Amino acid sequence: MILNLKNVRKRYEGGESVVEAVRGVTLSLAAGDFVALMGPSGCGKSTLLHLCGAMDRPSEGELSIEGTEIRRLSDDQLTALRRQRLGFVFQFFNLLPTLTVRENIELPLLLSGAAAGESARRAGELAERVGLGHRQGHYPQQLSGGEMQRAAIARAIIHRPALLIADEPTGNLDSGNGEKVLELLKELNRDPGLTILMATHSNETAAIASRLVRMRDGLIESEG
Amino acid sequence: MKLFSKLFHQFILRHLVRERMRSIATIIGIALGIAVVLAIQMTNASSLRGFEKAIETVSGRTSLEVVGTGLGLDEGVVTSLGWLRSYGQVAPIIEGEAEARAADGRRETLRVLGVDILKDRSFREYNLLEFGAAEPTPQEFLELLIDPKAVVITEKFARRWGLKTGDEIELTFADRATRYRIRGLLLDEGPARAVDGNFALMDIAAAQWALGRLGRLDRLDVLLGDRKSLDQAEEEIRRRLPPGLKVQRPARRGAQVEKMLEAFHFNLAALSYIALLVGLFLIYNTVSISVITRREEIGTLRAVGVTRGRILGLFLAEAAGLAVIGCGLGLGLARGLSYGAVRLTATTVQSLYIATAATPEPLGMRQVLLAFGIGLPLALLAAALPALEAARVAPMAAMRGHDRLASRYRLKPILLLGPLVLFGLAWWMAGQPPVQGLPLFAYGSAVSIVFGAALLAPAVLYGLGRIGDRVLFKLFRVEGRLANANLAGSIPRLSISVAALAVSLSMMVAIAVMIGSFRETVIYWVGQTLQADLYLRPATRNNVATDAPFSPEVEQIVAGHPEVAAVDRFRNFDLAYADGLVTIGTGEFQTLLNYGSLQFKEPAEPEAGREAMRRAIGQEAVVVSESFALKFAKQRGDAVTLDTPRGSVVFRIAAIYYDYSSDRGILVMDRGTFNRYWGEPQATSLTVYLRDGADPDRVRDQLLARFGDQYRVFVFTNKTLREEVLRIFDSTFSITYALEVIAIFVAILGVASTLLTLILERRRELSILRLVGADYRQVRKMVLIEAGMIGAVSQAIGLLIGLLLSLLLIYVINVQSFGWTIQFHLPTGFLIQSSILILIATVLAGLYPARAASRLPATEQMAEE
Repeated sequence: MILNLKNVRKRYEGGESVVEAVRGVTLSLAAGDFVALMGPSGCGKSTLLHLCGAMDRPSEGELSIEGTEIRRLSDDQLTALRRQRLGFVFQFFNLLPTLTVRENIELPLLLSGAAAGESARRAGELAERVGLGHRQGHYPQQLSGGEMQRAAIARAIIHRPALLIADEPTGNLDSGNGEKVLELLKELNRDPGLTILMATHSNETAAIASRLVRMRDGLIESEG
Repeated sequence: MKLFSKLFHQFILRHLVRERMRSIATIIGIALGIAVVLAIQMTNASSLRGFEKAIETVSGRTSLEVVGTGLGLDEGVVTSLGWLRSYGQVAPIIEGEAEARAADGRRETLRVLGVDILKDRSFREYNLLEFGAAEPTPQEFLELLIDPKAVVITEKFARRWGLKTGDEIELTFADRATRYRIRGLLLDEGPARAVDGNFALMDIAAAQWALGRLGRLDRLDVLLGDRKSLDQAEEEIRRRLPPGLKVQRPARRGAQVEKMLEAFHFNLAALSYIALLVGLFLIYNTVSISVITRREEIGTLRAVGVTRGRILGLFLAEAAGLAVIGCGLGLGLARGLSYGAVRLTATTVQSLYIATAATPEPLGMRQVLLAFGIGLPLALLAAALPALEAARVAPMAAMRGHDRLASRYRLKPILLLGPLVLFGLAWWMAGQPPVQGLPLFAYGSAVSIVFGAALLAPAVLYGLGRIGDRVLFKLFRVEGRLANANLAGSIPRLSISVAALAVSLSMMVAIAVMIGSFRETVIYWVGQTLQADLYLRPATRNNVATDAPFSPEVEQIVAGHPEVAAVDRFRNFDLAYADGLVTIGTGEFQTLLNYGSLQFKEPAEPEAGREAMRRAIGQEAVVVSESFALKFAKQRGDAVTLDTPRGSVVFRIAAIYYDYSSDRGILVMDRGTFNRYWGEPQATSLTVYLRDGADPDRVRDQLLARFGDQYRVFVFTNKTLREEVLRIFDSTFSITYALEVIAIFVAILGVASTLLTLILERRRELSILRLVGADYRQVRKMVLIEAGMIGAVSQAIGLLIGLLLSLLLIYVINVQSFGWTIQFHLPTGFLIQSSILILIATVLAGLYPARAASRLPATEQMAEE
């Protein structure tokens, strides 16, 4: 099992008020799953993504990634887990504006201590694969939205993560570019069989996933 | 207005309190800047005020004074001035200095006034402790002072030294130590207030004897009757006075001293403004941080209807608020700093210019106005840029955070035009002559260089950003690449910090190179010029202004020593010349030619210089110092007209020599020439050449043994005098280093706050980094590399600009201010050492921002979405 959540709760305490954003979620993703997470604003799906992405620890319940329970991990161990086993794609692409496309793509490998030559080679290959072979030396601002998101996807998978977390990956793209990005995700899910957890508002986007999970008020409303 | 103050309270004030560390750092920066400027201003004023106050209090009600030319006036001449009494009352005065010495070795200098007490009562108030509120009658006073060993000191000094009426006190005049009996204590009024109570009153005859000036007076004080206006009387007296005598107002002596100190003060003040400049840069940074961290809030305010103008006003008000507190604190701090500055400058002022017991001027309205008058407008100017940035924030974009997406900086070639124009202007201004003796154009040139360099900072950073990746990636791997990319992406914001730090550092480099060069030049000059074996001076002759000649007995003892080959009896005194004072010196040219050595500037050939000097013997000719020639635009062969007791006399300049002992200009003539106009001079210093094989230390000890307790003489061997010269030299520049340390401290504070600004601005990118797997050590390393890069780039620009400025200081400003030629010398060791230190300091300054950056949570990014 890639991801396993058992009765996970997450509370935020701010001053005197306590907000429970996730109120007991149980969910599993097996290798090669492509799960779409849907729900209205404030339903807790962003919090759930944080937890699944090892950015935060649950207040209660069990959450393991590839069998590793994250509640017992230190900050350093969480960082290492993210660096080695997780990839992220966001609505606003979040490429570093001061790095070129190739430099952005190879960043996770370099941060893990990979050799410069090897990182550059893999980044080049991936850039080709996502259709940005000719744009490697460009800066993010010189790209279209679709290109930026494809670069972000390449960065998210360069270190061969076990799980890709995608938060509204097409939310900021026109329909043409949105489709291309979804196509790419689908392709990656097929080969090399990447496990994907994707949050979205859009039914069309969710339709490409193999499973759909709906959330409301911090709970899973339906799964199928 | 009500809304504005409410917004200010809610939006600005609360934020400043919440971010108190940053607010405090900014306030400290401004306070230090303002305090340094004020302290230097107060210190400059104090050295003058001490002197002027002494003149004022000692002058009492004197309206005019009749003075001689240089060496006072002959008592014989006074008898021919009977007509002066038709203008009012006339009193003869002799003034000098004595060193009081206590049994425990404590020493203090006293200003001694010798008066004819019967005539002097109308001029000055003397209230004695023993007589309570009533002044003693002239008769009573006369009885007190009739004894030649009687002295009246001030109650203040007596209290400090634990003395009372009837006690004895040892006073040394020139080289003669004598015990005097204290016959009265002056209350703290009238002349007793001069020089902080270090004042003594004697009968004129006793003072003449003690000072070794029998038959001579310093001046005649004139108290005008009601009959005539001051101007009219001054004019009439001027016309009737015989040659060699002049009439002037007492304040004139103060003006002469002011003129003399002008360049020294001007240069110190210019330096102090650097600290302020750097302080203002902190304001820029703080307001920038405010704006950056609160773009969303500003957007919200704009969205709910707050106008652009009001947003601008709010941030300017923030700067004004910080500046007001900073200026207020700066005022308080200035007082303390000025005590330090007075202590640091006292040696310089006293060894090169005037003897004065300087205490800093108290804080007054003038300082308050100066602090706020400079601090506030400049703070608003510094805040204008970020405040305008705040006013331009679009309501919705800021709320969504979209407008923060950084765009890469592109260097527009047109931006290079500014620095080019400024450097061209600097070149032109460096070639302009001084304005009224002050190097105003040269300072304009320095400012142009500094601003040109500041404008060049973006281009330098841009260039480095392009080549830095390769080097830094090799050195520091991915963190190096990220640091380089971050800096290259923040060029506009970074340029100002780099420019501010570079300017501070360039001043340090410039001053270090200037002082290093000056020191080397002085060491060379001392080596060339100081050839004699022993140098003697009377104990109280501790500065150039004191008129303290040797006793004839001392001269005889020295000349009579069997191992002495020759003695050059040197005499110098101040003479009014062209609105200021110059030093007239006289010695035996033949002795100097036989045994000594001067470094000639014109004629440059040493043998030609010696020949010119030989030919000046017995002629109306002078050898002048370089500073005199430069200050008064004189060349070899030019004529100089001097006031002598025998009227105005024209002297020809036979040669110009290098001299670094004083910047006021020295004219030296042969003893024979001098005798013709001023009479036989008493020596104020003796230069002794020993026979071959004699041991200077042994001769020194033998001479001191002969002088015994009776004569107080300082005997320097060649070696100890060289050390003394360098000691004075080093203490002269101690204030410069102190100012520099403050400026650099403030600049480093600036680097820390800039990095913090950049980190806040890049919160988004930092959390992306954390998300893609950078751990906190990697983030911290990245920020520290950035800090080091800022330090390295600033130091590199600083070194380059500093070298340019040092050339300006050495070849233009120094020459125009002081008239000294300095040989360029690069203090390589110091520059390498300071570069490493700056690098370490900036990396340390990056520690806090680095910690802040590494603590940013990875979730911040996603939470926003």
